[in-house]
Amino acid sequence: MSIEVEINGSKDSLPKELSVAELLSIKKVESPEMVSVELNGEFVDRGAFADSIVKSGDSVEFLYFMGGGAK
Amino acid sequence: MEKLAFSTKVLHTKPNKDDSHRSIRYPIYATAAFDYASSQDIEDAFLMRKPAHSYSRITNPTVEFFEKKITTLEDGISSVAMASGMAAITNTIFNLVGSGDNIVASKYLFGNTYSFFKNTLANLGIEVRFVDHTDFEEVEAAFDEKTRLLFVETIANPQIIVADLDKLSEIAHAKNSIIVVDSTLTTPYLVSAKEHNVDLVIHSTTKYISGGGTSVGGVVTDLGSADWGTFPILAKFAHLGKMAFTARLRKEIYRNLGSALSPNTAYLHTLGLETLALRLRQSSETALTVAEYLQSHDEVLKVNYAGLKTDPYHAVAKQGFNKELYGGLLSFELKDKATSYKFMDSLELVRRATNLNDNTSLIIHPASTIFCEYDAEARAEMGVSEGLIRLSIGLEESEDLIADIQKALAV
Repeated sequence: MSIEVEINGSKDSLPKELSVAELLSIKKVESPEMVSVELNGEFVDRGAFADSIVKSGDSVEFLYFMGGGAK
Repeated sequence: MEKLAFSTKVLHTKPNKDDSHRSIRYPIYATAAFDYASSQDIEDAFLMRKPAHSYSRITNPTVEFFEKKITTLEDGISSVAMASGMAAITNTIFNLVGSGDNIVASKYLFGNTYSFFKNTLANLGIEVRFVDHTDFEEVEAAFDEKTRLLFVETIANPQIIVADLDKLSEIAHAKNSIIVVDSTLTTPYLVSAKEHNVDLVIHSTTKYISGGGTSVGGVVTDLGSADWGTFPILAKFAHLGKMAFTARLRKEIYRNLGSALSPNTAYLHTLGLETLALRLRQSSETALTVAEYLQSHDEVLKVNYAGLKTDPYHAVAKQGFNKELYGGLLSFELKDKATSYKFMDSLELVRRATNLNDNTSLIIHPASTIFCEYDAEARAEMGVSEGLIRLSIGLEESEDLIADIQKALAV
């Protein structure tokens, strides 16, 4: 059963609850190695992408900190 | 990348986006602005929802590439390059400290850093508590609940005092504060700041990193250890976790103060990084040879160089520095100012200039130049005597430098 979420300020529909890592893949997010993710206003550590689950009603932001980060 | 050696990392750190022509040397993006395919794209870029540069006062691809190499070498999470080393220091302080806060800083500092702390910050209602950072009890006693950070230099210049970073980090963290370290004289080649639990590391890249005095710049790197949630001034950015420091810096302080490094300079700095290890090794080895010569000379009252086994900071430096190298800067004392001037004016190879870690050896009399805005009493408190001379060793051969010094001391 699909779920309703908000991604970068727009309403969106996902086929089911997904991990942040799966969401990055399914949404074909640009430059995934550079993206930072906020889930419901909280920063998700890159190491926790696989374990952080996006549920119905959640808000997700894909953010890019341009400039010289290494990770 | 973590397991590669220093110079290999420098050469093989990739840009975030390849140059469209795949040029071996990443180009200079000499542009103020960037074009977008649509209006929505430019909105997304402003909202950080798109990996795109918007304006070179905020980010630029050539500068970003240099920043990324520094972040990799420091094993940090992010770097912001600035127009000068002083810009890196002032931006870092303004990003973390507000009116009513205080910082604890070594009293042994580069003259302009000291001036910023003592004069500029005082006018903004920020107290700086100067301490002798080799006296750990004094450092510890200076903290209170409003202390936001401890600031020291890896090698204090021109006194050549080496900081015990392990001990100072321990003190700062025990006080729920952080430690910010200026590692200009050591660079990431000599000091791996993260291994000593440093939170933020700053470099004046004008020195070694630029390739040896080619251009002016600076950089601050977040090593990823600080809990930015404890800083009231970062509250608006706290939800960004580890990126809170960088986010406020990039989106507010650095942007609003106009502190950007030019892409032309970033290109030179990136080129300089490629030979940093080679140059630093040679100047460190030559500095030791010259220091040993000076120590044996009757006219020289005292030599300050941590590479000397008799130096009071040798043990701390041996434990804290990589490669058993101690850097290219030393200082020594002659009888008085007149003797110092006569010696300096008799040198033929060593140039009289205010920079350091150039490829050419440089010499200066700190009391009459970098510290000229302070009276003799204040200078004495900072360890800057009237006979103190600072000598920055370049890439000349040691026998030529010693011959030049020997002749000038005999005049």
